[in-house]
Amino acid sequence: MAMRQTPLTCSGHTRPVVDLAFSGITAYGYFLISACKDGKPMLRQGDTGDWIGTFLGHKGAVWGATLNTDATKAATAAADFTAKVWDAVSGDEVLTLAHKHIVKTVSFTQDSSCLLTGGNDKLLRVYDLSSPESAPQEIAGHTSAIKKALWCNSDRQILSASEDKSVRLWDRSSMEEVKTLTFDTSTIAFYNALSLELIKSVEAPAPINSASLHPEKDFFVAGGEDFKLYKFDYSTKEELESYKGHFGPVHCVRFSPDGELYASGSEDGTLRLWQTAVGKTYGLWKCVLPEDLGADNTEQIYTAPPEVKA
Amino acid sequence: MNMMRPVHVMRLPRGPDPHSRGFDPQSPRFIALCRTSIVSSLTSDMDPEELQREQVMRAELRERFLRCLLSMANKRVRFNMYENVKVEATFGASDIDVLNFQVTDLQTPIGIQKEALIRSQDVISLSFDL
Repeated sequence: MAMRQTPLTCSGHTRPVVDLAFSGITAYGYFLISACKDGKPMLRQGDTGDWIGTFLGHKGAVWGATLNTDATKAATAAADFTAKVWDAVSGDEVLTLAHKHIVKTVSFTQDSSCLLTGGNDKLLRVYDLSSPESAPQEIAGHTSAIKKALWCNSDRQILSASEDKSVRLWDRSSMEEVKTLTFDTSTIAFYNALSLELIKSVEAPAPINSASLHPEKDFFVAGGEDFKLYKFDYSTKEELESYKGHFGPVHCVRFSPDGELYASGSEDGTLRLWQTAVGKTYGLWKCVLPEDLGADNTEQIYTAPPEVKA
Repeated sequence: MNMMRPVHVMRLPRGPDPHSRGFDPQSPRFIALCRTSIVSSLTSDMDPEELQREQVMRAELRERFLRCLLSMANKRVRFNMYENVKVEATFGASDIDVLNFQVTDLQTPIGIQKEALIRSQDVISLSFDL
């Protein structure tokens, strides 16, 4: 019998959650960092949502947050015109990188040696973390605020997205623009990350703010202004499921590195974890067969109360 | 109305501890990965006697720091801070992570603040009379 999805709600933030990122899979599991307008990004255990710690130090809304692959370092981008690097094991601040405007996005290279930042001053910056006092390399080109920037193609290239409605691909060594995509409508679209050629695009039932592709490319999930999470089949583009739960627009959604769950961050100040395979035993979710639900052991099992819909 | 059974959950995700910033130093990950704040000469070919001496020195330094905090209580302390800020206040206490100092009668260029919290990362140095 099909089961109804029980999302796990992670509370703690007091303002909208605007960005989230997973680490890779480490010897201690995988981790999740959330960026929040309350200025206090949080680290959580990725498969349970259990809070591990809060990075204290920013003096303004945190717009972007990321972890390195082994979750030993975190980086955050904030409205206080700084990006900060943190020790993600102790929670200590390691580095503050001053910028000239609000910083929106941060990204580590795979070996954690460099940090990419971008924000409202329209410049991409590459910091060498082994000599942080030296001036970063700057890449100009975008004509409006940068919302997101990532390393790609084994850190040889940079992908950036801006309010100027373009996505640009840059070569890291020459620091030059390789390709630009411009958009005038909003859909969910998939591009080849090396050539920026369109693979496919999908109409969504509502304006979408964030989407994430499953690591095995079976599904993708998306969320946006109608507060719902949508799950689609990647090959057929068919909408498979939609879930209510958040009480505000969904700002970010990401699959975990093992694809077993996805996390969403919302204007309502919460993070929610959703199962990819609903009903499977994983993390805090437990597959309970009907015959196990005898009167003797129901008190051992917690059922989340049904969501109250306002 | 949705007739499907909801997936069972063992418990809810643990939320933040209101009294601490977390990063439990007793967690297996912390114990395994956390380098001490003062870089130690922790190489595999390190003489165990030297390691022991280094640990004794660390303990001594830590004890001195804690005693310093204790002896500052209720004394006037001068804080030398970033942006060329120099203020004076009566020291109350530090929080457990040494993130904030609780002070009273903080003398600032714009007046005296009866109660204040000084962010420790903004402090370069402080001095007081024993």
